[in-house]
Amino acid sequence: MGWEEVQVRGYAEFVRSAERYHGRPIFALFCGDKDAEGRSWCPDCVTAEPVVRKELHNLPDESVFIYCLVGDRAYWKDPNNEFRKNLKLTGVPTLLKYGTPQKLVEEECFKADLVRMLFTED
Amino acid sequence: SVQAHKEEDNPEKTMEMNGLTPVPDSYDYDLIVIGGGSGGLAAAKEAAKYGKKVMVLDFVTPTPQGSSWGLGGTCVNVGCIPKKLMHQAALLGQALQDSRKFGWQFTEDVKHNWMTMTESVQNYIGSLNWGYRVTLRDTKVTYENAYGEFVGPHTIKATNKKGVEKLYTAERFIIATGERPRYLGVPGDKEHCISSDDLFSLPYCPGKTLVVGASYVALECAGFLAGLGLDVTVMVRSILLRGFDQDMANKIGEYMKEHGVSFIREFVPIKIEKVEEGTPGILKVTAKSTTENQLIEGEYNTVLLAIGRDPCTRKIGLDKVGVKINEKTGKIPVNDEEQTNVPYIYAIGDILQDKLELTPVAIQAGRLLVQRLYAGATTKCDYVNVPTTVFTPLEYGACGYSEQTAVEKFGEENIEVYHSHFWPLEWTVPSRDNNKCYAKIICNIQDKERVIGFHVLGPNAGEVTQGFAAAMKCGLTKEQLDGTVGIHPVCAEV
Repeated sequence: MGWEEVQVRGYAEFVRSAERYHGRPIFALFCGDKDAEGRSWCPDCVTAEPVVRKELHNLPDESVFIYCLVGDRAYWKDPNNEFRKNLKLTGVPTLLKYGTPQKLVEEECFKADLVRMLFTED
Repeated sequence: SVQAHKEEDNPEKTMEMNGLTPVPDSYDYDLIVIGGGSGGLAAAKEAAKYGKKVMVLDFVTPTPQGSSWGLGGTCVNVGCIPKKLMHQAALLGQALQDSRKFGWQFTEDVKHNWMTMTESVQNYIGSLNWGYRVTLRDTKVTYENAYGEFVGPHTIKATNKKGVEKLYTAERFIIATGERPRYLGVPGDKEHCISSDDLFSLPYCPGKTLVVGASYVALECAGFLAGLGLDVTVMVRSILLRGFDQDMANKIGEYMKEHGVSFIREFVPIKIEKVEEGTPGILKVTAKSTTENQLIEGEYNTVLLAIGRDPCTRKIGLDKVGVKINEKTGKIPVNDEEQTNVPYIYAIGDILQDKLELTPVAIQAGRLLVQRLYAGATTKCDYVNVPTTVFTPLEYGACGYSEQTAVEKFGEENIEVYHSHFWPLEWTVPSRDNNKCYAKIICNIQDKERVIGFHVLGPNAGEVTQGFAAAMKCGLTKEQLDGTVGIHPVCAEV
């Protein structure tokens, strides 16, 4: 079985999703919310998303890719939001391998070979 | 000739044998670095800055207990970093006790959880391993998790953990393979004992521990294990901290003894047997006196060997390319430009003969070497007056000569030693020892009382020593030191 994508919005949904897929490799991309036209308030997320999507075919079998919208700009800027507090996220976009210290933050997500490295190597 | 046909995969050698020098751009890489530790990574990143095509090979042969780790070398994975974090864990335990005298009230007894600490430490190390992978990839340095060994001129073979072999050629090589802990060579050592390579990722609390050795590794580990509340004994063959100022070494030992560490002096283990399975189990250690005909036995949950480290130079094919090593120690002699006897092969870090085994030294040597090779620089690595710190429970910072070496080199009548005991202000309220912290400087009378040795025993010794090292590099004299007003109230004002 290849990989599958799950889309969630907000911290609670993210946690439920991660728990549901416990035991399989989980990769997550955190981005700012999108407006009615589908554009994110976070310009770096707009740049990173296509780069990350282009590398998804490199995900190991059985993986789950969670695409998570974190909230609006005001929520994100709050230093006590749950993503910052509990997942220790420092910026969006963040691409990480859940349960490991392996992650790429902001401009690192623009680099296809770093994204590929995150998806393919231990 | 028959030989030329055999070397088909190595066109350079064929050409060499026909009297032609290999063409430079037929090499796969400008530089191959064997070893992805402090020295190797610093050199590789520096070379990439100058646009060179670089490869780093890093491979960890698992310990007899099966431990292994990621990219970054000893310091990051099984050395300085986890050591300092665990030392800090122990200091925090002490601070919790002191805090009651400063008014903090908490009713429960404070206990330590080994797994919580170890998981946090390993998590941090994991982020460092990942960070190095990202940096190498970002700076276009090729990294392979494979064991590198020379198979011929300018050629190495890289074998990954699945046994797949690949050959690579390069114009130049830097050997930065570092060292691994030595074993005793007695029955039961590899089967039952652990080393520092295993300690920092041990998946269970070590319990009652026997530390064999008197190196800084042994004393630092014994120190923090005792600080975490474990029953610790140190078995010493002869002296403590060989190579360090013996006056300071003895003070460190005394402090540890008074703070819960037992010492067994002048004994060496001759046999280790497992008497009970478990994590940890129970081990029986039989030891022999070095001075008389006496045998003793003891039972411990864990035996940690810290009796020395050996360079990883014997199985990397150095004989195939003619690199000379010291056959007895395995260390590689180099000139003052880190070059081995083979002109295109260099070496840096702990494997060097007669050089300090410290991360910052390896990093500095690696960077300067690469700058000389590719950026036209001429600066050589300065190995004089390198500061160090031993993170025993009472920390010891030093820079320059020990008292005994200064006496040997300059003569007792030509040196003056100024010393002082001090009581850190923070120790007064919780009634901690008032006569243990100590500092001394050794001055050369014949050279304007220049400070040639600095030693301090007390909290934050590393932080204190760094500044003095810079001053010594500038030629600090006693007069200048006296003329510098102290910061109050801090230990460093002494």
